[in-house]
Amino acid sequence: MLPFLVFILRILAAIALFGFLGWALYTLWRDLRFQSEMVTTRKIPPISLSLASGSEDTRKTFTSTEVVIGRDSTSDFPLADETVSARHAKLSYRYLQWWVEDMQSTNGTFLNDERVETPTIIINGDEIRIGQIPILVEIQPFEQ
Amino acid sequence: MNWIFPTADSPHIKLQSRLLTLAAAFLFFDCLVLTFAPAVRLHEWTGTVRWQQWVAWLIWLVGFSLLYRGVNRFLPDRDPYLVPIVGLLSGWGLVTIFRLNPDLGFRQTIWFVLCIAGLLVGIRYPRLLPILRRYKYVWLTSVLVLTVLTLFLGTYPGGTGDGPGLWLQMFGVYLQPSELLKLALIIYLAAYLADSMPAHFRFMQLLAPTLVVAGASIAILIAQRDLGTASIFILLYCLIVYVASGKRRVLLISFFVIVAALVAGYLTFDVIRLRIEAWLNPWLDPSGRSYQIVQSLMAVANGGLFGRGLGLGSPGVVPVAQSDFIYSAIAEEAGLFGAVALLAVMAILTIRGIEIALHAPNQYQRFLAIGISTTFIVQAGLIIGGNIRLFPLTGVTLPFVSYGGSSLVTSFFSFLLLLMISNQAEDQPAAIERLRPYTLIGSLFLTGLFVIALFTGWWSLIRSSSLLARSDNPRRAISDTYVLRGEILDRNNVVLAESTGTPGDYVRTIEVPSLSATVGYSNPDYGQTGIEYSMDGYLRGVEGNSPTIVWWDHALYGQYPPGLNIRLSIDSMLQSKADALLAGRKGAIALMNAESGELLVVATAPTFNANDLQANWSTWMADTNAPLLNRVSQGQYPLGTGVTAFLYATALQTGLPPVPSDLSAVDLQDCAVSPGPAPDLANLVISGCPIATRLLASAIAPATQMSMISRLGFFAQPNLPIETAKATSLSAPFTSSTLVSPPSSWRISPLQLLIAASALSNNGHVPSPILVTAYQDPSKDWIAMPDLSALKTADMLNAPAATENLATTSFPGWETISHMIDGDHTVDWFIAGTTPEWKGAPLALVVVLEGGNPETTRSIGEEMFLSAVTPFGS
Repeated sequence: MLPFLVFILRILAAIALFGFLGWALYTLWRDLRFQSEMVTTRKIPPISLSLASGSEDTRKTFTSTEVVIGRDSTSDFPLADETVSARHAKLSYRYLQWWVEDMQSTNGTFLNDERVETPTIIINGDEIRIGQIPILVEIQPFEQ
Repeated sequence: MNWIFPTADSPHIKLQSRLLTLAAAFLFFDCLVLTFAPAVRLHEWTGTVRWQQWVAWLIWLVGFSLLYRGVNRFLPDRDPYLVPIVGLLSGWGLVTIFRLNPDLGFRQTIWFVLCIAGLLVGIRYPRLLPILRRYKYVWLTSVLVLTVLTLFLGTYPGGTGDGPGLWLQMFGVYLQPSELLKLALIIYLAAYLADSMPAHFRFMQLLAPTLVVAGASIAILIAQRDLGTASIFILLYCLIVYVASGKRRVLLISFFVIVAALVAGYLTFDVIRLRIEAWLNPWLDPSGRSYQIVQSLMAVANGGLFGRGLGLGSPGVVPVAQSDFIYSAIAEEAGLFGAVALLAVMAILTIRGIEIALHAPNQYQRFLAIGISTTFIVQAGLIIGGNIRLFPLTGVTLPFVSYGGSSLVTSFFSFLLLLMISNQAEDQPAAIERLRPYTLIGSLFLTGLFVIALFTGWWSLIRSSSLLARSDNPRRAISDTYVLRGEILDRNNVVLAESTGTPGDYVRTIEVPSLSATVGYSNPDYGQTGIEYSMDGYLRGVEGNSPTIVWWDHALYGQYPPGLNIRLSIDSMLQSKADALLAGRKGAIALMNAESGELLVVATAPTFNANDLQANWSTWMADTNAPLLNRVSQGQYPLGTGVTAFLYATALQTGLPPVPSDLSAVDLQDCAVSPGPAPDLANLVISGCPIATRLLASAIAPATQMSMISRLGFFAQPNLPIETAKATSLSAPFTSSTLVSPPSSWRISPLQLLIAASALSNNGHVPSPILVTAYQDPSKDWIAMPDLSALKTADMLNAPAATENLATTSFPGWETISHMIDGDHTVDWFIAGTTPEWKGAPLALVVVLEGGNPETTRSIGEEMFLSAVTPFGS
C-alpha cells in the first residue's frame, strides 16, 4: 500500500515540477510570439489629413508608414496650389511617433506656425501649413 | 497557497505566484516521498520516518514568501522568472542535501536563511549597483587579499583530511574567498570595460589592466590548486571581453588560450593529469583514480527514465555527492526527467539573463548581467558535464543547488544584482553596437545544455543496464541487505547458503563453509564468486520472475524482487565425508553421476570460509597454499599415467599389445603401487605403471590417441557455473610418445579428468557436468534448469570391457592410480568408477593429492568411493 502511495507522490512531484517548467516555457513562448507579432504586423496609428478650410470630403486617412504631401498628382496627399512644391513635405512613422519633415520646399513647411527645420514629432490636433495651405492632423489612438 | 504567494492583477505577479506555488508543491511532494522512503525500502511499516527535510521546506517556504513580497514592493519591474527559478533551484538543492546528509542540510539551511535575510535588506538599496561600480578596485583588492590569506591560513572544512586549504575559518564559519573573487572580478570587468570602452583606446591598451588583474587572480588560484575556479575565471574573462568588444578574434584567441592552458595544466599539475586521464579512460581504474566518475555514472544509470524516488536510490555512495556530484544524486532519484527539468530551468535562467543584459539601461549593468548569467551557466555546465563524463572533473559547485555556504552567498548576491538590473520601469535599453555576441553565446549555452541532456540520456537509458551490471556497482549489495536473497540448497534441500537478519541488515552466510570455493560468496566489499556470482540472476529474483514483477519492484522500491532458491547437485553428506578425508591435506576430491553429469562432491583443501572474508582476506591472498583456489575446477596438474586407463579402453577396441614375459624389476619400479607378481596389462594399468602407458601408446595409432583424448575433453574447458581453469593445449605435434612423456605445459584439471572417467563408467558417453539442477519459482514449484548440453560419445573406447577388466575383487568398481613429480612436490591421481554390474546410477570419482603418497591417495579414494556406493545407514 505504502509503496504505491509513495509512487503516486513521486508522480505528483513530477507533475508539479513539469507544471513549473511547462508554465514557464508557455509564458516565455507566448511573450516571444507577442513580440514577434508586434514586429511583423507593426500597428501604425492611422493618420488623417484634411484641409483646414475645406469641407469634410477632403479628409484622407493613411495607414502606411510614409505620407508625401505635394503639388505632384502622384503624391499621397496632392494639393493644387502655387505655394506648394512638387514634393513638399513628408510625414513618417518612426520610433512609435509620427514625424513631419520638410523636403526642401520653396515656401517651407510650418507646424503650428513654426517653421519645420528638422524632423519634428506631430500629435493629434496639430496644424501643418504647406506653403499657404493649412492642414489639420488627426492621429487616432493606438489600437490595443 | 495564495496567502503565501499572494497574487495580483499584474500578469507578471500572477506568473510568479503560480510558478512559486508549483515549486512549493514539487518540494512538498518530494519531502513527503523522502519521509516514507525508509519504510518503502524496508517493505514494511516500522514507524521509521525521515522528517528533517521538513525544516528545510518550511524555512524555504517562509523565506521565499517574504522575498516574494519584498521584491513585489521594492523591485516591482523585475524579471518575472528569476525569483521562481532561484526558488526552485535552491529548494531542490536544500532537500537533496538533507536527503544526502541531514547535518550538512542544517548547515546549508543556516546559510540559506542568511542569504534570504541579506536579499530582503539588499532589495531596499538600489544604490548598490553604482556603489559597486565606483569602488570596483576596493572590492577586488579586498577579496584578492582574502584569497591570498588562504595561502597562509587556509583550512579544509572536511577536518583532518588533506583537502585543499581554500577556506578561511572565523568563529567556526568557513568562507571560501575564491567564490567571492569570481563575483568581484565580474563587477570589476563590467565597470572597467563600461568606463573605458567609449574612450576607444587601442584594444590591447584597453585590456592591459584587466589582463593584469585577471592574471593575478588566476595566479593566486593556481598557487592554491583551486584549478576548477581558475578555469572558470579564464572562461569568464574571455566571454565577457568578447561580449564587451564584440570582436570575433577574441573568441579565436580565447580558444587557443584555453587549449594552451589545458595543455600546460596537463603537463604541470598531477591533479589535472589525473583528472584528464580519469576522464578519457575511466574504466581502467574504476576503484582508484576514476572511482568518483564511475560511481557518478552508475548513479545516473540507476536513475533511468523516471528516477528511483527521493530517498530510494543510493546517491550517497558517490563521494562528496552533496557538492561536486549533486547532479548525479538528482539524476539518480529524479531520473532523466528530473535531470532534463533541471537543465531546462538552467536554460530559462540563461535566456532571461541574456534578455536582462539586452534591456539593461547602461553598458555597466549590461556587462554585469551577462557576466553573472555566464557564471551561472558556465559553472553549471562544467560541473554537470564533469558528472556525466562530458568534461574532465572540475571541483566547482552547481549554483544554488550544491552544498557550500560561500557558493550559496555568492550565487544569491549575483541573483540580487541580476534582479536589480532587470528592474527597469521603462524599456530604454542602452544602444547595442553588435547583437551578435549575445545571440552567439546564448545559442552556445543552450546547445551546451542540450548536449548535456543527451549525454545524461545516454548513461541513464542506453548504457544503463551494462553499467548497473558491473560488479563494482554497490547498489546491488545495498539491495541485498533489504531484499531476501535466494537460498542455495543441496540435492536433499540442505541449506548451503542463506541470508539472515532483518530487512536492512540481511547478511549472507554460508552454512557449509567447506563449499566456499564452489558456492562462492556475495559480499559488499569483495564482490561475488562461484554459484553466488553465476546464479545471481535467480538468487536476486531478476530471472525466474516475470518481467512485470521485476519492473514493479524496481519502480516502487528501487530494489530487486525477493530472490529465488536454487538447488545444487551437491550431496552435503558425501561432501562432508570428502572434507573429512581431505582434512590436513592438499588436494581435491570430485564425485560425479557419470550418466547425468551431476556433481555430487566438489571438495578442495586447503580452502577458506566465505563467512570470514573480512578478517582473513589478506592472509588467504598471500598464502602459498592458495586456499581461495577451487582445486577441482581451477587446479591443473600433469596427467602422468592417469591417461593409461583410457588408452587401455581404446586398445580393447583396436587390439591389445602383448605384455613381454620378461618384465624386469626396473620396468616395474616406477609403478605408483606394486602390481604384484606376474601382472597382466590390466594390473599394470590399475597400479599406475609407466610401462603400461608405453606399451599401449606404441600399439595405438597417434591419430586415434589424439582423437580419443580430445573426444574425452582433455583440451576443453568444462562448462560449469563456477570458475574453471582455461584448458591447456599441446604445444608440439602429436606423436606416439606424446602421452608417454607429455610436455609439462599440458595440464588437466580434476574436473576434466572426472568427465573423462565418467565416459568409462557411462558406456563411452561423455556427460556434461552439472552443478545447478533447479530453481524454485515464486509459487514454490521446483523448475529444472534447462539442459543445454549435447551428448558426445567417445566411440573408439570399449568402455564396458575396460571397466570390467580394471575392476578388482576387493573393490566394487574399476580404479587406476598415477604418481609423478611436479616441480618440488609429488602429485597422485586416483581415478575410479562403477562397472556395468553396478545397478545404481553410474558414478565416477577423481582424487588428487599434492605431496602425498600413492597408497594414502588410493585408500582415501577407495574409502570415498565406498561411501558413495554404500547406501547411508547400511
